[in-house]
Amino acid sequence: MSGVYLFDLASRQVQYLAVRQAAIAGNIANANTPGYQARDTVPFAQVLSRVGLGMATTSANHLTSQAAPVEAVPLRNSDGWDVLETGSAVRMEQELMKAGEINREHNLNTAVVKSFHRMLLASVRGA
Amino acid sequence: MIEALMSLAAFDKAAPTASSAAASLLQRTAPPVASAGPADFGSVMAQLAAGTSQSLKAGEAAAIAGIQGKATAQQVVEAVMSAEQSLQTAIAIRDKVVNAYLELSRMAI
Amino acid sequence: MIDPLKLSGRLAGAGLEAQSLRLRVVAENIANAQSTAAEAGGDPYSRKTITFRSEIDRLTGAASVRTREIGKDESPFRVEHDPGNPAADKDGNVKMPNVNVLVEMADMREANRSYEANLQMIKQTRSMVASIIDLLRS
Repeated sequence: MSGVYLFDLASRQVQYLAVRQAAIAGNIANANTPGYQARDTVPFAQVLSRVGLGMATTSANHLTSQAAPVEAVPLRNSDGWDVLETGSAVRMEQELMKAGEINREHNLNTAVVKSFHRMLLASVRGA
Repeated sequence: MIEALMSLAAFDKAAPTASSAAASLLQRTAPPVASAGPADFGSVMAQLAAGTSQSLKAGEAAAIAGIQGKATAQQVVEAVMSAEQSLQTAIAIRDKVVNAYLELSRMAI
Repeated sequence: MIDPLKLSGRLAGAGLEAQSLRLRVVAENIANAQSTAAEAGGDPYSRKTITFRSEIDRLTGAASVRTREIGKDESPFRVEHDPGNPAADKDGNVKMPNVNVLVEMADMREANRSYEANLQMIKQTRSMVASIIDLLRS
């Protein structure tokens, strides 16, 4: 599989994770705000299917190729677990769990990208 | 002469996995022109140079925007990585071409 | 298009500030749990309450948090019979602050937890940006 597809996919995921991180940070900051509705992004798989990730080679100018299909991923209201009256504790744990997920996925993403970038450079140098 | 040019293309056939990545890089660095067919070697090199310089300029612009705070870290990093990849490819090809030319010049006539 | 990671840092920072203010209010309540009035028969320290409101950023739809107000708890003061107290009225009753230390301690623990959670978000945001930049290093 061409390495270009991987970089494009990873780029979209990092963007998605950054938007999700903002949503979760907003939730945690507003844990004690009366009337605040927790928010989250749609799952990443859904974002991909919506945008229709093609396998066409991207242009060398990555700034423009990012600006066009930029998913301003809309934050929708979260249908979380049942919220009790004293429920901010429950929501806090849920939000921290999501934050942990984001952290893991982001670490994996950057590690993979770094590794493939190095491999690509090494293969070109070797050839 | 033909052997020298073949040796340039040989690295493409020699290592399939490496070459697919390198070929994709090549495709990215030198975007193919609409007119296919027996491409002139000179025009291929010209495309490569143009693609590389475009990629480098984009990387520089992204870095400047990043320093000014106008671009996100992700955009800067991606542009710079892409420039790095294009440059490495161009250098590797240039080295191959230079070696091929030297081989040619050593040929007894 | 605003950088989402920069935005998360700002949101978590606002949350940190809010919780820190909340901790200050709780500390003030605890410190003044026994503060009676200055003059005889007067009102003692009134428990302070803090409420937050979310502030929606038009561009991104993200909700930052701000303090709405620091108000006064209107529940009635406790009355103790303590004729020797300087603040006692003519019947020897002293009005004590409407602060329940146990409630304040529980509130303080929760505020602490929220503070830590916001701090963790700041750290995570920072580490995400750092690992992106780290891609350029070999």
